[in-house]
Amino acid sequence: MIRIAWRSLTAHKLRTILTTLAILLGVAMICGTYVLSDQIDRGFKNIFTDAYKGIDVAVARKAKFSGQMTGATAGLPESMIAQVKGVSGVAGAYGFVTGTGAVAVNGKVVSTGGSPTLFFSYAPSDISNTTYVQGGPPTATGEVSIIQKLATDQKLHLGSVIDVIAPGGSDKARVVGVFTFGAESSLGGSLIVDTTLADAQRWFNMPGSVSEIDAKAVAGVSSDTLAQRVRAALPAYAEVKTGTQAATDQTKQISDAIGGFLRPVLLSFGGIAVLVGAFIIFNAFSMTVAQRRREFAMLRALGASRRQVLVTITGEALAMGVLASVLGILAGLGIAAGILRLFAVAKIDIPHGGIVLAPRTVVVALAVGIIVTLLSAVIPATRATRVPPMAALQEGAVLPPSRFARFTPYFAGVVAVLGALGIVAGMYGPGNTTSRLGAIAFGAVLVFVAVAMVSRYIIRPLAGLLGWPLQKVAPVSGRLARDNTVRNPARTAATASALMIGLGVVVFVAVFAQGLKSSFIDSFDRVVRADFIVQGKNFLPLPSDTATLVQGVAGVQTAAGVEAQQAQIAKKTTAVYGVDPSSFRRIWKFDWVKGGSDALVGQLGTGNAIMEEQTASSLRSGVGKTVDVVTVDGKRAKLKVIGLYRDPILLNGVIVSDAGYTSLFGKPQLFMVFAKGGPGTSVAQNEAALKSALASVPTADVQTAQQYKDGIVKQVNQLLNLLYGLLAMSVIISLFGIVNTLVLAVFERTREIGLTRAIGMSRRQVRATVRFESVITSIIGAIMGIVVGVVFAWVVTTKFAGQGITFSIPAGQLLAFLIVGVIVGVIAAILPARRAARIDILEAIHYE
Amino acid sequence: MSDRTETIPQTGSAAAPTTCEDGTTIGLDDTVVQARGVTKLYGQGDACVHALAGVDIDLQRGAYTAIMGPSGSGKSTLMHILAGLDRPSAGNVWVDGVEVTGLKERALTQLRRDKIGFIFQTFNLLPTLTAAENIVLPLTIAGRKGEGAWVDELVATVGLGDRLKHKPAELSGGQQQRVAVARALASRPAVLFADEPTGNLDSRTGEEVLQLLRQSSEKLGQTVVMVTHDAHAATYADRIVFLKDGVIAHDCGRLGRDEIYDVIKSLEDVG
Repeated sequence: MIRIAWRSLTAHKLRTILTTLAILLGVAMICGTYVLSDQIDRGFKNIFTDAYKGIDVAVARKAKFSGQMTGATAGLPESMIAQVKGVSGVAGAYGFVTGTGAVAVNGKVVSTGGSPTLFFSYAPSDISNTTYVQGGPPTATGEVSIIQKLATDQKLHLGSVIDVIAPGGSDKARVVGVFTFGAESSLGGSLIVDTTLADAQRWFNMPGSVSEIDAKAVAGVSSDTLAQRVRAALPAYAEVKTGTQAATDQTKQISDAIGGFLRPVLLSFGGIAVLVGAFIIFNAFSMTVAQRRREFAMLRALGASRRQVLVTITGEALAMGVLASVLGILAGLGIAAGILRLFAVAKIDIPHGGIVLAPRTVVVALAVGIIVTLLSAVIPATRATRVPPMAALQEGAVLPPSRFARFTPYFAGVVAVLGALGIVAGMYGPGNTTSRLGAIAFGAVLVFVAVAMVSRYIIRPLAGLLGWPLQKVAPVSGRLARDNTVRNPARTAATASALMIGLGVVVFVAVFAQGLKSSFIDSFDRVVRADFIVQGKNFLPLPSDTATLVQGVAGVQTAAGVEAQQAQIAKKTTAVYGVDPSSFRRIWKFDWVKGGSDALVGQLGTGNAIMEEQTASSLRSGVGKTVDVVTVDGKRAKLKVIGLYRDPILLNGVIVSDAGYTSLFGKPQLFMVFAKGGPGTSVAQNEAALKSALASVPTADVQTAQQYKDGIVKQVNQLLNLLYGLLAMSVIISLFGIVNTLVLAVFERTREIGLTRAIGMSRRQVRATVRFESVITSIIGAIMGIVVGVVFAWVVTTKFAGQGITFSIPAGQLLAFLIVGVIVGVIAAILPARRAARIDILEAIHYE
Repeated sequence: MSDRTETIPQTGSAAAPTTCEDGTTIGLDDTVVQARGVTKLYGQGDACVHALAGVDIDLQRGAYTAIMGPSGSGKSTLMHILAGLDRPSAGNVWVDGVEVTGLKERALTQLRRDKIGFIFQTFNLLPTLTAAENIVLPLTIAGRKGEGAWVDELVATVGLGDRLKHKPAELSGGQQQRVAVARALASRPAVLFADEPTGNLDSRTGEEVLQLLRQSSEKLGQTVVMVTHDAHAATYADRIVFLKDGVIAHDCGRLGRDEIYDVIKSLEDVG
């Protein structure tokens, strides 16, 4: 039986290849994701392991919570270094300040492709992993040493003067040393600058403090023991870890930050590809079972049991699944390598270790590939077991319909309802983000399946509609194509459904992103009265005097800065914005909730705040109530809410006065400066004036309001393009599905095509017939995808209506997707059409 | 084949020795296929058609029987029912001591596997398997092993020695049907059913297949039931059963071609 399965696979090579490819690509994406993220993990692990090599104990300030905007903590008092040194078993301890800033050479900020430029106060070489290749460590104020990559890229040498830009201000510094760090050639684009402790404290607003204290143990004392002793000697706010633990934690933190986004996104696109593949396998097996029913009938007549027939087909599926998974794993390794190469070309420097093919990757890839293939083949295989042995003796016997066939619409209804429930539960139900996203994904899959199940009922009307113009253009081919499409509506439906899934997700993403863009722009236009926005490059905070600097520019009527940090309010991480009470309301048009007015901004002091309406409702707070705020350093404060405003997109959180902000976080953290030109000034003039005034602040990026909006839209579009690229895989897989269906259909109709050729149909007409059938199928798939995608987007948008995201249909893009559908159809038809046209008339009419 | 000594069903009234028209009588204990009152109806109510209207028949072990009749006479339906491929509307069928008509799906499969061989008009070889693999397919399906000598004998009988490694598509129609005969014989079935075995062959290759069937009957003692409308094919049979309008119209021993034509003509005249 297995031999029959194997022979069948090898005898129908094209079918096997196309079907295998359908599942292979999805498996490759999943495998590639794991391999890539594991490689990146390993890269960071190597870096941090190097960084903590030789360090037994690391002490840092305990973070109250972690967030994306929390910034550096307040650090530890310098006096603690002595305390650590005093612990028995400590051979030496060293405190240092570290922070994120930027370096400018000749007034231009050195680009790091999004990676941080890290500053460290110099640590002795027995603790730090730096190796000097030129000069030595900084010893006096104004001296720095730099990592070799920076020196090479910027052609810096000993004695060169660079600009150091840090939250505490910018300064000139002289290069006195060049070093390499650890064994890693790449630190993921990150640059490292070593400074003196005093300079670092000044630049990072940490007078009298250090970021971290590292200690070494005397011989005979283990890291664990030493960590315990140090922990016992220090106050509770100091977090004591062994060096190994610190390296592991930091690796985990950064790989969670990257992998926490990258991995699920890539995996879900792999999942979509696998789902599309599943449809194609289902379809391919359904068709071959129909074609081979005489073969199965004969086997049954020879005494094969139903089980043996089932085993034959599932054996085929198993072999295909194994083949696809194994090849998929290999292709996945290729994909990972390809993406890293792409990163390198795009000058995105991500550290990565050697290729990591973890057992987990192999297990997941094999399991997904094999299980999905088997599951997709189960229904066709069961159908094959129902072929009666009598069919071997009869010409053109048809499969008996399943006992359950008439329940299909009801079953589809149940699946659709379950899917809808899954989506609703995911959107509004309890549970953490992962489980809720899982519920939504599961629900979406069920909805896709349900739509695919009922779509056979819309094939006839849709094909009639789409075939009509074709019939006008080409009376014979158009008519035949239309009839061929509706001949087996279930088959057409399954083929079109594969395309529907890929395009459905594309449309969903497009519509959702359109909503995101338009709501951002609407919101911006509504509330922002500024003509200019000044932001820090590389996500760096602006020097705290930037607002004053901007205010001083001739032509600028009003300038107002916004500071931003995250804090915890009622255990929820919330954005806290600091603004100047007098100037901010002149560039910001607040949308007040009843009772509020701009006067409230003027009343902001150190113990009160105004709050965004959504934030207030999620914190169960309101006007007159007091909220408890906890900063990342563990500092507590009470804020009385004096007003509520609506602004779910731009300033969704809590607004305090700049004085209140400083008292809360201890140091300013200027995020943006808004500026408005005076009456009678032109935007171009003001822009030039601003740029020249801010030349001394290399990190400052001056944009007009329009440029800023365009920039945001561009960012969303870039993300969109990335997603489209990933989804293209699913569309390509569904293209294979159409090719597969057409090839098999042409094979089935060999005799018929021969007959039409015999009575005078030209090769061109035969090709056109196949092509039209392909296009009708693909347009049906595209239409279904667009409808499902728009509905999904609408449902999800309603969920985010509170966050100000509106539903908006990008009509032009949807039309483009429809055209993509047509193109897919035309491409898919090339090979099958050629085969159909090549059919030998004489052989065909004798074909049995 | 002599080891097949299962009990023959005794069905009372209908079980009677069959007397052929040439006068020979074959004892009941040699009956391998027995049918009693087999009726097959298609459709319902006024549209109801009797494909078979009460057929009683006994087929002797080792005999080569041809079932003849015009299109629509019910000859194919009778064969399908005797072979357990189709169920009668009424009546009973026994094959090699097993009542076929009462069998469930699983037991029917078992029966086809162990007791019945088929030869189809359209050969129905598995295109992906070689001739040799096709021949042993029933043994493969049944999971039987170690019958190499028997398979060699079969191959020698059908005379395909040099074509065994070829796929069906590389064989002529006659060769394909010879492979099919060998396949049908492979499991040493109690009965071999052949459905118009020469229908798709030219007269010369058809002749080879008919001789092969004759040989299997004579040399191997194989019971053969052949449905045909070809008078020449029927001349190879020991016994010819003529069906007309769903009933046995004539049942006789070996006949020559002209005699067969006479019978056909006489039956037409009656109608």
